[in-house]
Amino acid sequence: MDSAGYTVLTRLSGLKNELQAIANNVANASTTGFRKEGLIFSEYISALEPGEPSLSMANGDVRHTSDAQGPLTPTGGTFDLAIEGDGFFLIETPQGEALTRAGAFTPNDQGELTTHDGYRLLDNGGAAIFIPPDAKSVAVAADGTMSADGLPLAQIGLYLPTDPNSLNRQDGVRFYTEGGVEPYEGAAILQGYVENSNVNPITEITRMIEVQHAYTMGQKFSEQEDERIRGVISTLGR
Amino acid sequence: MRALKIAATGMSAQQMRVETISQNLANMNTTGYNARRAEFSDLHYQQMARPGTINAADGTVLPTGVQLGLGVRPSSVTVQLAQGSLSQTNGDLDIAIEGKGYFEVALPSGQSAYSRDGTLKRSADGLIVTSEGFALVPNITIPDDARSISINAEGEVYAYFNDRIEPELLGQLTLAGFSNSKGLEAIGSNMFLESPASGPAIVSIPGTDGLGTLRQGYLEDSSVDAVREVTELIEAQRGYELNAKVITAADQMLSATSNIR
Repeated sequence: MDSAGYTVLTRLSGLKNELQAIANNVANASTTGFRKEGLIFSEYISALEPGEPSLSMANGDVRHTSDAQGPLTPTGGTFDLAIEGDGFFLIETPQGEALTRAGAFTPNDQGELTTHDGYRLLDNGGAAIFIPPDAKSVAVAADGTMSADGLPLAQIGLYLPTDPNSLNRQDGVRFYTEGGVEPYEGAAILQGYVENSNVNPITEITRMIEVQHAYTMGQKFSEQEDERIRGVISTLGR
Repeated sequence: MRALKIAATGMSAQQMRVETISQNLANMNTTGYNARRAEFSDLHYQQMARPGTINAADGTVLPTGVQLGLGVRPSSVTVQLAQGSLSQTNGDLDIAIEGKGYFEVALPSGQSAYSRDGTLKRSADGLIVTSEGFALVPNITIPDDARSISINAEGEVYAYFNDRIEPELLGQLTLAGFSNSKGLEAIGSNMFLESPASGPAIVSIPGTDGLGTLRQGYLEDSSVDAVREVTELIEAQRGYELNAKVITAADQMLSATSNIR
Protein backbone atom coordinates (compact mmCIF):
# COMPACT_ATOMS: atom_id res chain seq x y z
CA MET A 1 0.00 0.00 0.00
CA ASP A 2 1.55 3.26 -1.06
CA SER A 3 0.16 6.27 0.78
CA ALA A 4 2.79 9.02 0.48
CA GLY A 5 1.05 10.41 -2.59
CA TYR A 6 -2.23 10.74 -0.72
CA THR A 7 -0.65 12.50 2.22
CA VAL A 8 1.00 15.07 0.02
CA LEU A 9 -2.25 15.47 -1.89
CA THR A 10 -4.13 16.49 1.29
CA ARG A 11 -1.36 18.99 1.97
CA LEU A 12 -1.60 20.47 -1.52
CA SER A 13 -5.37 20.82 -1.37
CA GLY A 14 -5.13 22.44 2.07
CA LEU A 15 -2.55 24.91 0.73
CA LYS A 16 -4.81 25.68 -2.21
CA ASN A 17 -7.60 26.51 0.28
CA GLU A 18 -5.22 28.64 2.27
CA LEU A 19 -4.20 30.59 -0.81
CA GLN A 20 -7.90 31.15 -1.45
CA ALA A 21 -8.30 32.54 2.08
CA ILE A 22 -5.27 34.81 1.57
CA ALA A 23 -6.64 36.02 -1.78
CA ASN A 24 -9.96 36.81 -0.12
CA ASN A 25 -8.22 38.73 2.66
CA VAL A 26 -6.12 40.76 0.22
CA ALA A 27 -9.14 41.42 -2.00
CA ASN A 28 -10.98 42.73 1.07
CA ALA A 29 -8.08 44.82 2.39
CA SER A 30 -10.18 47.96 1.79
CA THR A 31 -13.55 46.57 2.87
CA THR A 32 -15.00 48.48 5.82
CA GLY A 33 -15.48 46.25 8.85
CA PHE A 34 -13.96 43.15 7.23
CA ARG A 35 -12.36 40.60 9.56
CA LYS A 36 -9.46 38.50 8.35
CA GLU A 37 -10.19 34.81 7.84
CA GLY A 38 -7.62 32.12 8.39
CA LEU A 39 -7.26 28.37 8.08
CA ILE A 40 -5.64 26.09 10.58
CA PHE A 41 -4.22 22.76 9.51
CA SER A 42 -5.14 19.75 11.61
CA GLU A 43 -3.87 16.21 11.49
CA TYR A 44 -6.18 13.64 10.02
CA ILE A 45 -5.37 10.05 10.93
CA SER A 46 -6.54 7.21 8.79
CA ALA A 47 -6.33 3.53 9.59
CA LEU A 48 -4.46 1.31 7.15
CA GLU A 49 -4.30 -2.45 6.79
CA PRO A 50 -4.29 -4.40 10.06
CA GLY A 51 -0.78 -4.64 11.44
CA GLU A 52 0.41 -1.53 9.58
CA PRO A 53 1.02 1.88 11.13
CA SER A 54 -1.71 4.46 10.66
CA LEU A 55 -1.47 7.17 8.04
CA SER A 56 -1.33 10.81 9.07
CA MET A 57 -2.66 13.43 6.68
CA ALA A 58 -3.08 17.21 6.83
CA ASN A 59 -6.48 18.77 6.72
CA GLY A 60 -6.71 22.53 6.23
CA ASP A 61 -10.15 22.85 7.64
CA VAL A 62 -10.56 24.74 10.87
CA ARG A 63 -11.82 28.23 10.24
CA HIS A 64 -10.50 31.15 12.18
CA THR A 65 -11.81 34.72 12.17
CA SER A 66 -9.46 37.36 13.54
CA ASP A 67 -11.11 39.73 16.00
CA ALA A 68 -8.25 42.22 16.07
CA GLN A 69 -9.26 45.86 15.99
CA GLY A 70 -9.02 47.35 12.49
CA PRO A 71 -7.58 50.84 12.04
CA LEU A 72 -10.12 53.69 12.26
CA THR A 73 -10.39 56.15 9.39
CA PRO A 74 -11.95 59.56 9.92
CA THR A 75 -14.67 60.23 7.34
CA GLY A 76 -16.57 62.99 9.10
CA GLY A 77 -19.88 61.38 8.09
CA THR A 78 -22.73 61.86 10.57
CA PHE A 79 -23.82 58.23 10.30
CA ASP A 80 -20.37 56.67 9.93
CA LEU A 81 -19.85 54.77 13.18
CA ALA A 82 -16.87 52.71 14.28
CA ILE A 83 -16.67 50.36 17.25
CA GLU A 84 -13.56 50.64 19.36
CA GLY A 85 -13.35 47.40 21.30
CA ASP A 86 -15.33 44.17 20.99
CA GLY A 87 -18.95 43.89 19.98
CA PHE A 88 -21.00 44.19 16.79
CA PHE A 89 -23.87 46.27 15.46
CA LEU A 90 -27.10 44.30 15.13
CA ILE A 91 -28.92 44.58 11.81
CA GLU A 92 -32.20 43.14 10.59
CA THR A 93 -31.98 40.99 7.45
CA PRO A 94 -34.43 38.67 5.68
CA GLN A 95 -32.41 35.69 7.05
CA GLY A 96 -32.80 36.93 10.62
CA GLU A 97 -30.72 39.21 12.76
CA ALA A 98 -27.08 39.61 11.72
CA LEU A 99 -23.97 41.08 13.30
CA THR A 100 -21.64 43.48 11.51
CA ARG A 101 -18.72 45.81 12.21
CA ALA A 102 -19.24 47.79 8.99
CA GLY A 103 -20.63 51.00 10.43
CA ALA A 104 -21.26 53.18 7.37
CA PHE A 105 -24.99 53.74 7.74
CA THR A 106 -27.41 56.07 5.98
CA PRO A 107 -31.07 56.96 6.51
CA ASN A 108 -33.38 55.40 3.91
CA ASP A 109 -36.39 57.09 2.29
CA GLN A 110 -38.43 56.35 5.44
CA GLY A 111 -35.79 58.03 7.62
CA GLU A 112 -34.70 54.71 9.18
CA LEU A 113 -30.97 54.13 9.61
CA THR A 114 -29.80 51.31 7.28
CA THR A 115 -26.62 49.70 5.96
CA HIS A 116 -25.55 50.15 2.33
CA ASP A 117 -27.43 46.96 1.50
CA GLY A 118 -30.60 48.49 2.93
CA TYR A 119 -30.83 46.47 6.18
CA ARG A 120 -32.09 48.33 9.25
CA LEU A 121 -29.76 49.01 12.15
CA LEU A 122 -31.33 48.01 15.48
CA ASP A 123 -31.10 49.84 18.80
CA ASN A 124 -30.50 48.26 22.20
CA GLY A 125 -34.18 47.30 22.35
CA GLY A 126 -34.08 45.58 18.94
CA ALA A 127 -36.10 48.30 17.16
CA ALA A 128 -35.23 50.31 14.03
CA ILE A 129 -33.78 53.81 14.52
CA PHE A 130 -35.72 56.69 12.99
CA ILE A 131 -33.92 59.94 12.09
CA PRO A 132 -36.34 62.89 11.85
CA PRO A 133 -35.92 64.52 8.39
CA ASP A 134 -35.87 67.99 9.91
CA ALA A 135 -32.97 67.21 12.28
CA LYS A 136 -30.23 69.80 11.81
CA SER A 137 -27.51 67.75 13.45
CA VAL A 138 -27.33 64.24 14.84
CA ALA A 139 -24.77 63.35 17.49
CA VAL A 140 -23.75 59.90 18.70
CA ALA A 141 -22.15 59.53 22.12
CA ALA A 142 -19.56 56.88 22.96
CA ASP A 143 -22.22 54.71 24.63
CA GLY A 144 -24.31 54.75 21.44
CA THR A 145 -26.88 57.32 22.55
CA MET A 146 -28.11 59.22 19.49
CA SER A 147 -29.52 62.68 19.81
CA ALA A 148 -30.97 65.05 17.21
CA ASP A 149 -30.53 68.75 18.02
CA GLY A 150 -30.10 67.84 21.70
CA LEU A 151 -33.16 65.59 21.95
CA PRO A 152 -32.46 61.88 22.54
CA LEU A 153 -33.49 59.58 19.65
CA ALA A 154 -32.35 56.07 20.54
CA GLN A 155 -29.41 54.13 21.87
CA ILE A 156 -27.52 52.00 19.38
CA GLY A 157 -26.95 48.58 20.88
CA LEU A 158 -23.74 46.59 20.70
CA TYR A 159 -23.99 42.82 20.85
CA LEU A 160 -21.77 39.77 21.17
CA PRO A 161 -22.62 36.24 20.03
CA THR A 162 -23.41 33.99 22.98
CA ASP A 163 -21.21 31.33 21.41
CA PRO A 164 -18.20 33.02 19.76
CA ASN A 165 -17.47 29.87 17.75
CA SER A 166 -20.87 29.93 16.09
CA LEU A 167 -20.15 33.01 13.98
CA ASN A 168 -20.98 32.21 10.40
CA ARG A 169 -19.75 34.55 7.67
CA GLN A 170 -22.09 35.95 5.05
CA ASP A 171 -21.49 38.26 2.12
CA GLY A 172 -21.95 41.94 2.90
CA VAL A 173 -19.52 41.82 5.87
CA ARG A 174 -22.22 40.15 7.97
CA PHE A 175 -22.05 37.37 10.52
CA TYR A 176 -24.90 35.10 11.57
CA THR A 177 -24.96 33.17 14.76
CA GLU A 178 -27.22 30.28 15.71
CA GLY A 179 -26.64 30.62 19.42
CA GLY A 180 -28.31 34.01 19.86
CA VAL A 181 -26.75 37.32 20.90
CA GLU A 182 -26.37 39.19 24.13
CA PRO A 183 -25.96 42.94 24.72
CA TYR A 184 -22.42 44.16 25.34
CA GLU A 185 -21.44 47.45 26.92
CA GLY A 186 -17.67 47.34 27.04
CA ALA A 187 -16.87 49.20 23.82
CA ALA A 188 -17.04 52.77 22.58
CA ILE A 189 -18.87 53.94 19.45
CA LEU A 190 -17.09 56.71 17.55
CA GLN A 191 -19.05 58.99 15.25
CA GLY A 192 -17.42 60.19 12.03
CA TYR A 193 -15.10 57.19 11.73
CA VAL A 194 -15.30 53.83 10.02
CA GLU A 195 -13.31 50.76 10.94
CA ASN A 196 -11.11 49.52 8.11
CA SER A 197 -10.51 45.91 7.32
CA ASN A 198 -8.21 44.33 9.94
CA VAL A 199 -6.22 42.54 7.23
CA ASN A 200 -2.49 43.22 7.48
CA PRO A 201 -1.15 43.09 3.90
CA ILE A 202 2.40 42.35 5.08
CA THR A 203 1.49 39.17 6.97
CA GLU A 204 -0.80 38.09 4.14
CA ILE A 205 1.87 38.46 1.45
CA THR A 206 4.49 36.80 3.68
CA ARG A 207 2.18 33.87 4.30
CA MET A 208 1.38 33.76 0.59
CA ILE A 209 5.08 33.32 -0.22
CA GLU A 210 5.32 30.51 2.36
CA VAL A 211 2.23 28.81 0.92
CA GLN A 212 3.62 29.11 -2.58
CA HIS A 213 6.94 27.51 -1.59
CA ALA A 214 5.27 24.77 0.44
CA TYR A 215 3.13 24.00 -2.58
CA THR A 216 6.17 23.77 -4.88
CA MET A 217 7.83 21.47 -2.33
CA GLY A 218 4.78 19.23 -2.37
CA GLN A 219 4.88 19.18 -6.13
CA LYS A 220 8.59 18.20 -6.10
CA PHE A 221 7.80 15.45 -3.59
CA SER A 222 5.08 14.09 -5.88
CA GLU A 223 7.50 14.06 -8.80
CA GLN A 224 10.10 12.15 -6.80
CA GLU A 225 7.48 9.67 -5.66
CA ASP A 226 6.53 9.20 -9.27
CA GLU A 227 10.15 8.53 -10.23
CA ARG A 228 10.61 6.18 -7.29
CA ILE A 229 7.60 4.09 -8.27
CA ARG A 230 8.68 4.08 -11.91
CA GLY A 231 12.12 2.93 -10.79
CA VAL A 232 10.57 0.11 -8.75
CA ILE A 233 8.42 -1.00 -11.67
CA SER A 234 11.26 -0.93 -14.18
CA THR A 235 13.58 -2.80 -11.75
CA LEU A 236 10.99 -5.47 -11.03
CA GLY A 237 10.00 -5.72 -14.65
CA ARG A 238 13.50 -6.60 -15.85
CA MET B 1 -7.39 27.88 -8.35
CA ARG B 2 -10.18 30.18 -7.19
CA ALA B 3 -7.51 32.48 -5.76
CA LEU B 4 -7.00 33.81 -9.30
CA LYS B 5 -10.60 34.94 -9.64
CA ILE B 6 -10.73 36.24 -6.07
CA ALA B 7 -7.66 38.42 -6.61
CA ALA B 8 -9.23 39.64 -9.86
CA THR B 9 -12.29 40.87 -7.92
CA GLY B 10 -9.86 42.68 -5.62
CA MET B 11 -8.15 44.35 -8.56
CA SER B 12 -11.39 45.52 -10.12
CA ALA B 13 -12.62 46.87 -6.77
CA GLN B 14 -9.42 48.88 -6.32
CA GLN B 15 -9.74 50.07 -9.90
CA MET B 16 -13.21 51.41 -9.12
CA ARG B 17 -11.77 53.16 -6.08
CA VAL B 18 -9.18 54.87 -8.29
CA GLU B 19 -11.95 55.92 -10.68
CA THR B 20 -13.90 57.47 -7.78
CA ILE B 21 -10.80 59.30 -6.59
CA SER B 22 -10.02 60.66 -10.05
CA GLN B 23 -13.62 61.85 -10.37
CA ASN B 24 -13.22 63.70 -7.05
CA LEU B 25 -9.91 65.26 -8.06
CA ALA B 26 -11.32 66.27 -11.45
CA ASN B 27 -14.08 68.13 -9.60
CA MET B 28 -11.82 69.88 -7.09
CA ASN B 29 -13.05 73.27 -8.24
CA THR B 30 -16.65 72.42 -9.09
CA THR B 31 -19.06 74.64 -7.17
CA GLY B 32 -21.20 72.66 -4.76
CA TYR B 33 -19.57 69.30 -5.60
CA ASN B 34 -19.55 66.71 -2.84
CA ALA B 35 -16.73 64.19 -2.66
CA ARG B 36 -17.69 60.54 -3.15
CA ARG B 37 -16.24 57.43 -1.55
CA ALA B 38 -16.23 53.88 -2.87
CA GLU B 39 -17.42 51.30 -0.33
CA PHE B 40 -16.73 47.58 -0.58
CA SER B 41 -18.30 44.49 0.80
CA ASP B 42 -17.24 40.83 0.79
CA LEU B 43 -18.79 38.30 -1.53
CA HIS B 44 -20.53 35.03 -0.89
CA TYR B 45 -18.86 32.43 1.32
CA GLN B 46 -18.48 28.89 0.15
CA GLN B 47 -19.43 26.34 2.76
CA MET B 48 -16.74 23.65 2.67
CA ALA B 49 -18.14 22.12 5.84
CA ARG B 50 -21.10 23.61 7.65
CA PRO B 51 -20.64 24.59 11.28
CA GLY B 52 -22.42 22.03 13.43
CA THR B 53 -21.72 19.21 11.02
CA ILE B 54 -21.21 15.94 12.79
CA ASN B 55 -17.79 14.52 12.18
CA ALA B 56 -18.57 11.07 10.81
CA ALA B 57 -15.54 9.34 12.26
CA ASP B 58 -16.24 9.80 15.96
CA GLY B 59 -19.48 11.81 16.25
CA THR B 60 -17.99 15.11 17.43
CA VAL B 61 -19.64 18.28 16.21
CA LEU B 62 -17.49 20.68 14.17
CA PRO B 63 -17.54 23.93 16.18
CA THR B 64 -16.84 26.30 13.33
CA GLY B 65 -16.91 24.49 10.02
CA VAL B 66 -15.03 25.83 7.03
CA GLN B 67 -16.09 28.78 4.95
CA LEU B 68 -13.97 30.26 2.22
CA GLY B 69 -14.74 33.71 0.88
CA LEU B 70 -15.00 34.39 -2.82
CA GLY B 71 -13.72 37.95 -3.02
CA VAL B 72 -14.99 41.49 -2.88
CA ARG B 73 -17.58 43.63 -4.64
CA PRO B 74 -18.15 47.39 -4.70
CA SER B 75 -21.24 47.92 -2.54
CA SER B 76 -21.78 51.61 -3.09
CA VAL B 77 -20.25 54.90 -4.07
CA THR B 78 -21.49 57.23 -1.37
CA VAL B 79 -21.70 60.97 -1.54
CA GLN B 80 -19.95 62.47 1.48
CA LEU B 81 -22.36 65.19 2.55
CA ALA B 82 -19.89 67.58 4.10
CA GLN B 83 -20.46 71.31 3.83
CA GLY B 84 -17.84 72.81 1.51
CA SER B 85 -16.21 76.05 2.55
CA LEU B 86 -17.78 79.29 1.29
CA SER B 87 -15.81 81.66 -0.89
CA GLN B 88 -16.84 85.26 -1.34
CA THR B 89 -17.61 86.39 -4.88
CA ASN B 90 -19.81 89.43 -4.14
CA GLY B 91 -22.02 88.44 -7.08
CA ASP B 92 -25.65 89.51 -6.57
CA LEU B 93 -26.88 86.14 -7.78
CA ASP B 94 -24.17 83.95 -6.25
CA ILE B 95 -25.92 82.16 -3.41
CA ALA B 96 -24.44 79.54 -1.11
CA ILE B 97 -26.54 77.20 1.03
CA GLU B 98 -25.33 76.84 4.60
CA GLY B 99 -27.01 73.62 5.63
CA LYS B 100 -28.32 70.53 3.92
CA GLY B 101 -30.97 71.88 1.52
CA TYR B 102 -31.05 71.98 -2.29
CA PHE B 103 -32.35 74.51 -4.81
CA GLU B 104 -35.19 73.16 -6.92
CA VAL B 105 -34.66 73.52 -10.68
CA ALA B 106 -37.31 73.05 -13.40
CA LEU B 107 -36.02 70.80 -16.20
CA PRO B 108 -37.47 71.20 -19.73
CA SER B 109 -39.04 67.74 -19.32
CA GLY B 110 -41.25 69.11 -16.56
CA GLN B 111 -39.35 67.17 -13.86
CA SER B 112 -37.67 68.87 -10.96
CA ALA B 113 -33.94 68.54 -10.41
CA TYR B 114 -32.11 69.59 -7.25
CA SER B 115 -28.80 71.37 -7.01
CA ARG B 116 -26.50 73.03 -4.49
CA ASP B 117 -24.78 75.05 -7.19
CA GLY B 118 -25.77 78.65 -6.48
CA THR B 119 -24.13 80.34 -9.47
CA LEU B 120 -27.45 81.82 -10.58
CA LYS B 121 -27.97 84.10 -13.56
CA ARG B 122 -30.68 86.33 -15.01
CA SER B 123 -32.14 85.08 -18.30
CA ALA B 124 -33.18 87.25 -21.26
CA ASP B 125 -36.77 87.33 -19.94
CA GLY B 126 -35.59 88.32 -16.46
CA LEU B 127 -36.07 84.91 -14.81
CA ILE B 128 -33.58 83.68 -12.21
CA VAL B 129 -31.93 80.63 -13.84
CA THR B 130 -29.00 78.28 -13.18
CA SER B 131 -25.77 78.41 -15.21
CA GLU B 132 -27.33 75.79 -17.49
CA GLY B 133 -30.29 78.10 -18.14
CA PHE B 134 -32.93 76.14 -16.19
CA ALA B 135 -35.40 78.24 -14.20
CA LEU B 136 -35.38 78.09 -10.42
CA VAL B 137 -38.57 76.93 -8.68
CA PRO B 138 -40.48 79.01 -7.59
CA ASN B 139 -39.94 81.29 -10.61
CA ILE B 140 -38.73 84.75 -9.72
CA THR B 141 -38.58 87.51 -12.34
CA ILE B 142 -36.19 90.42 -11.96
CA PRO B 143 -37.51 93.62 -13.54
CA ASP B 144 -35.28 95.20 -16.23
CA ASP B 145 -34.90 98.45 -14.32
CA ALA B 146 -33.77 96.88 -11.02
CA ARG B 147 -30.53 98.45 -9.78
CA SER B 148 -29.52 95.65 -7.48
CA ILE B 149 -30.86 92.49 -5.93
CA SER B 150 -30.70 91.60 -2.27
CA ILE B 151 -31.42 88.11 -0.96
CA ASN B 152 -31.60 87.54 2.78
CA ALA B 153 -30.84 84.39 4.76
CA GLU B 154 -34.51 83.31 4.69
CA GLY B 155 -34.58 83.50 0.88
CA GLU B 156 -36.65 86.67 0.40
CA VAL B 157 -35.57 88.36 -2.84
CA TYR B 158 -35.74 92.18 -2.93
CA ALA B 159 -35.05 94.52 -5.85
CA TYR B 160 -33.78 98.08 -5.46
CA PHE B 161 -34.65 100.73 -8.05
CA ASN B 162 -33.06 104.04 -8.89
CA ASP B 163 -36.33 106.00 -8.67
CA ARG B 164 -37.59 104.56 -5.35
CA ILE B 165 -36.22 104.27 -1.86
CA GLU B 166 -38.29 101.27 -0.76
CA PRO B 167 -37.14 97.88 -2.10
CA GLU B 168 -39.73 95.68 -3.77
CA LEU B 169 -40.24 92.06 -2.65
CA LEU B 170 -39.93 89.98 -5.83
CA GLY B 171 -40.48 86.55 -4.31
CA GLN B 172 -39.36 83.88 -1.89
CA LEU B 173 -36.69 81.27 -2.67
CA THR B 174 -37.35 77.84 -1.16
CA LEU B 175 -35.10 74.90 -0.40
CA ALA B 176 -35.80 71.18 -0.70
CA GLY B 177 -34.59 68.56 1.77
CA PHE B 178 -34.64 64.76 1.69
CA SER B 179 -34.69 61.98 4.30
CA ASN B 180 -31.74 60.46 2.53
CA SER B 181 -29.81 63.02 0.49
CA LYS B 182 -27.22 60.32 -0.33
CA GLY B 183 -29.93 58.49 -2.26
CA LEU B 184 -30.41 61.27 -4.83
CA GLU B 185 -29.64 60.31 -8.40
CA ALA B 186 -26.86 62.41 -9.93
CA ILE B 187 -27.49 63.50 -13.53
CA GLY B 188 -24.43 65.68 -14.05
CA SER B 189 -24.24 69.48 -14.30
CA ASN B 190 -24.33 69.56 -10.48
CA MET B 191 -27.94 68.36 -10.54
CA PHE B 192 -29.74 65.47 -8.85
CA LEU B 193 -33.12 63.82 -9.31
CA GLU B 194 -35.41 62.50 -6.61
CA SER B 195 -35.22 58.68 -6.39
CA PRO B 196 -37.04 55.91 -4.50
CA ALA B 197 -34.07 55.85 -2.14
CA SER B 198 -33.99 59.56 -1.34
CA GLY B 199 -37.63 59.88 -0.31
CA PRO B 200 -39.84 62.75 -1.47
CA ALA B 201 -38.62 66.35 -1.42
CA ILE B 202 -39.64 68.37 1.64
CA VAL B 203 -39.89 71.94 0.36
CA SER B 204 -39.73 74.76 2.85
CA ILE B 205 -38.43 78.24 3.56
CA PRO B 206 -34.65 78.51 4.24
CA GLY B 207 -33.91 78.47 7.95
CA THR B 208 -36.77 76.12 8.81
CA ASP B 209 -36.92 72.29 9.02
CA GLY B 210 -33.14 72.09 9.34
CA LEU B 211 -32.67 73.01 5.68
CA GLY B 212 -30.06 75.70 6.21
CA THR B 213 -29.92 79.34 5.27
CA LEU B 214 -28.78 81.28 2.18
CA ARG B 215 -25.72 83.53 1.87
CA GLN B 216 -25.80 86.04 -0.95
CA GLY B 217 -22.43 86.90 -2.53
CA TYR B 218 -20.85 83.55 -1.62
CA LEU B 219 -20.43 80.22 -3.39
CA GLU B 220 -19.92 76.80 -1.84
CA ASP B 221 -16.60 75.27 -2.86
CA SER B 222 -16.17 71.64 -3.74
CA SER B 223 -15.81 69.56 -0.55
CA VAL B 224 -12.94 67.53 -2.07
CA ASP B 225 -9.92 67.36 0.22
CA ALA B 226 -6.93 66.90 -2.09
CA VAL B 227 -4.60 65.57 0.60
CA ARG B 228 -7.06 62.90 1.58
CA GLU B 229 -7.78 61.89 -2.00
CA VAL B 230 -4.09 61.51 -2.79
CA THR B 231 -3.57 59.39 0.35
CA GLU B 232 -6.47 57.20 -0.74
CA LEU B 233 -4.97 57.02 -4.22
CA ILE B 234 -1.72 55.64 -2.80
CA GLU B 235 -3.66 53.06 -0.79
CA ALA B 236 -5.73 52.03 -3.79
CA GLN B 237 -2.68 51.69 -6.01
CA ARG B 238 -0.89 49.52 -3.44
CA GLY B 239 -4.00 47.43 -2.95
CA TYR B 240 -4.13 46.87 -6.68
CA GLU B 241 -0.48 45.75 -6.71
CA LEU B 242 -0.99 43.37 -3.78
CA ASN B 243 -3.88 41.70 -5.56
CA ALA B 244 -1.73 41.41 -8.67
CA LYS B 245 0.94 39.68 -6.53
CA VAL B 246 -1.64 37.15 -5.36
CA ILE B 247 -2.53 36.47 -9.00
CA THR B 248 1.17 35.84 -9.76
CA ALA B 249 1.47 33.43 -6.81
CA ALA B 250 -1.69 31.56 -7.77
CA ASP B 251 -0.40 31.34 -11.32
CA GLN B 252 2.93 29.86 -10.17
CA MET B 253 1.12 27.33 -7.98
CA LEU B 254 -1.00 26.36 -10.96
CA SER B 255 2.08 25.88 -13.08
CA ALA B 256 3.58 23.74 -10.27
CA THR B 257 0.43 21.63 -10.39
CA SER B 258 0.76 21.10 -14.10
CA ASN B 259 4.45 20.23 -13.63
CA ILE B 260 3.75 17.40 -11.18
CA ARG B 261 3.95 15.09 -14.13
